[in-house]
Amino acid sequence: MSEQSAAERDLAELIVSSLNLESVRPEDIDPQAELFGGELGLDSIDALELALAVSRRYGVQLRSDTPDNRQIFSSLGTLSTYIEQQRRSECVL
Amino acid sequence: MSNTWQGRREGGGYIALWLIRGIGLRMGRPLARALLYPITLYFFLRRGPERRASQAYLRRLWGRPARQREVLQHIYVFASSILDRAFLLHRGERGYHFEVEGLDLLEQTLAQGRGVLLYGAHLGSFEALRTLAARHPDLQLRVVMDRTQTPAMNALLEELDPQLAKNVIDVGADRYTVALAVSEAVQEGAIVALLADRARHHETTRSVPFLGDPAPFPVSPWRLAAAVRAPVLLCFAIERGNRNYLLRFESFAERIELPRTRGDATLDSVLMAYAARLEALLREYPYHWFNFYDFWKPHVQATGDLGLAAAEPTGERGHLA
Repeated sequence: MSEQSAAERDLAELIVSSLNLESVRPEDIDPQAELFGGELGLDSIDALELALAVSRRYGVQLRSDTPDNRQIFSSLGTLSTYIEQQRRSECVL
Repeated sequence: MSNTWQGRREGGGYIALWLIRGIGLRMGRPLARALLYPITLYFFLRRGPERRASQAYLRRLWGRPARQREVLQHIYVFASSILDRAFLLHRGERGYHFEVEGLDLLEQTLAQGRGVLLYGAHLGSFEALRTLAARHPDLQLRVVMDRTQTPAMNALLEELDPQLAKNVIDVGADRYTVALAVSEAVQEGAIVALLADRARHHETTRSVPFLGDPAPFPVSPWRLAAAVRAPVLLCFAIERGNRNYLLRFESFAERIELPRTRGDATLDSVLMAYAARLEALLREYPYHWFNFYDFWKPHVQATGDLGLAAAEPTGERGHLA
């Protein structure tokens, strides 16, 4: 498993806490592994719960009209990258 | 999978729909109504699985074998509802009488500004709801449906009402998008309507008593309701006579809460309440059950694209899409 970046670790903690994943430790979520439908057993409604938690924590909206949701939600790494990009672009604006 | 609803081809549907459109809309409703008899007979004779499903359902409901006449009546009521769907979409509710019950309940709930989840079943003509939306343009109505399931029907309905597609949240889209779209609509104060009685192949179900035996119901509508924290109302539209409909809104839950530890038990109690309500309605309107397949057959969750069965031995989780 590849090393988590600081942002990924932060997001992993949000995933575990917002979805109450009692048997999963944040540091064990592989940034490159499939996040939903994979070993964690998370599904689309968990994705929605996470999206709501991400919006509260980072102020980043994951929206249905974003064309590449499938890619964004595919792993801890891709989701974290998207959130960081959005946060940076908001800072610039 | 031929006994599941997704395994059934729409066959014959094309012909019936073509007849309804070509003759019904061009030559008028009385002639189309007359054609419902041969169409009913065609389905009765040619579509064995649907006929047997109807017989089995009526037997459960009444505790005695169904007569042929009753099975024919069941198919006829279904065919009639399809014809009316076409007319209602094409011409609006002109000539139809709608008695609406519980509209004040819907309005009060909407006034709270939290959006409303409106759950129905394949019981009667849920589409009649759209006529209400047409009458009240201020109501924002979004309908969650799977457009890939009945392409012929959808093509026809969308041809009749091009606005229709815009208000659909298509379950055929990727799974994240559907759940997010429902959440956004609710946040905007819209009404999100869906049918909560049928599970798609990959959806998780839980079985609860329904007409005497456990039947698998999808859990995702209720997990979704818990996630978006919106009130749930039930909605049914039942044809009570020629061009005479009852559209009824009922309160169901102010909010669905699924605690992580006792979530399964809570889901079961919610599903039981929903199933019990359906059962009571079917006792009142036996011919308006439009699930012409073995509804009680244990749901086999396809693992295919998601591999969820292996990951979730308890089967407590569901997929919206």
